[in-house]
Amino acid sequence: MAKKNFSNTYIFIYSAVLVVVAALILTVVSVSLKPAQEKNQRAETKQMILKTIGIEATRDNADVLYDKHITEADNYYTFSGGIILPLKGTGLWGPIWGYLALDNTGTVVGAVFDHKGETPGLGGEIATDKFASRFIGKKMDTQAIHLKKNADKSNPYEVDAISGGTMTSNGVTAMLAKAYEDYCKLSSSPIMHRTTIDTCNTREEATE
Amino acid sequence: MKNIDLIKLPFSKNNPILVQVLGVCSCLAVTAQLKPAVVMAISVTVVVALSNLIISLLRNTIPPRIRIIVQLVVVSTLVVLVDQVLKAYMYDVSKQLSVFVGLIITNCIVMGRLEAFAMVQKPWPSLLDGIGNGLGYSVILITLGFVRELFGSGTLWGYPVVEKLGLYGIGYENNGLMIMPPMALILVGLIIWWHRSKNKDLVEQ
Repeated sequence: MAKKNFSNTYIFIYSAVLVVVAALILTVVSVSLKPAQEKNQRAETKQMILKTIGIEATRDNADVLYDKHITEADNYYTFSGGIILPLKGTGLWGPIWGYLALDNTGTVVGAVFDHKGETPGLGGEIATDKFASRFIGKKMDTQAIHLKKNADKSNPYEVDAISGGTMTSNGVTAMLAKAYEDYCKLSSSPIMHRTTIDTCNTREEATE
Repeated sequence: MKNIDLIKLPFSKNNPILVQVLGVCSCLAVTAQLKPAVVMAISVTVVVALSNLIISLLRNTIPPRIRIIVQLVVVSTLVVLVDQVLKAYMYDVSKQLSVFVGLIITNCIVMGRLEAFAMVQKPWPSLLDGIGNGLGYSVILITLGFVRELFGSGTLWGYPVVEKLGLYGIGYENNGLMIMPPMALILVGLIIWWHRSKNKDLVEQ
């Protein structure tokens, strides 16, 4: 390394130029690769939604299968046996999301979760089939499902939380509660289960 | 040092993982299967080679006081580029590698080679040094990925080798420990043991 004396001005200008150049390069790349990335993400979303109703799609046939089985509504989806609710929330480190398929009685037929950056092996476990399968058979009718430590397996509103992933589990509970509220507002939906509408309405009145 | 040695030495006597003991964390994390191991190997090689080249070109203009920050900016820019390309063209692999792509930034091999080599050497040798170290890292990663996927999941690159050989029929079972990170550490240890027994001059007194 040449032993040169660099003035403060030089250091400031040098760092400024460096970051501007780096930012420019990244912007150009990001903009030019965006279409390809978004295509992948859309296909993945479709795969996830199909998975909740038990259809394993590959990235290539997801489009076709999706169009065949799923109908999109405003902010939810329907399939021949019921409704699929999108879930969105925050975990410990970043966004978490998922889809929950309910049949016409409000019973969960399938669930799928994913996350941006939860800790692998702890909160990251929500993305596994093992975790998602705990939801099958649970109910989202008179109240939302929540996660609990050592949950009572026979309680249709309780699902076992992830050990070591309390913050992420809380995030999932909050996400389910939020989805339940939105679900209640869907009273116009033709496939809504009667009891659910009634309960939701009563609940809203009670809170007012 | 001759240029050819810059490529050759990292394979054995100056291997980044076995001898310099750099980049061990990522080699434990991504080698449960062959495919992510290969992609990680290629990504790291590209990042080390290019960052070595860029830093070497800039080396006389970089004020020593902010050199680490300059190195980080260059490395992070390259890593984000790799990440974006993976997301666009190898989406599944990019999901699998998830946080580890970002962690190339903190892969000690990259910073280690920049500080030790690229800051004081001309661009061409620096590029070769980067490629050499990247490949040296790759050899270990791919070996581990091969062994761990074969014995841990019974597949290679997703292809069910063991099932096709009909070994499950005669009572063979996959070794679950193989897919856990600690097993990678044990395997690295075994490789280092074998490597040192072949290269006695590397054994500390």
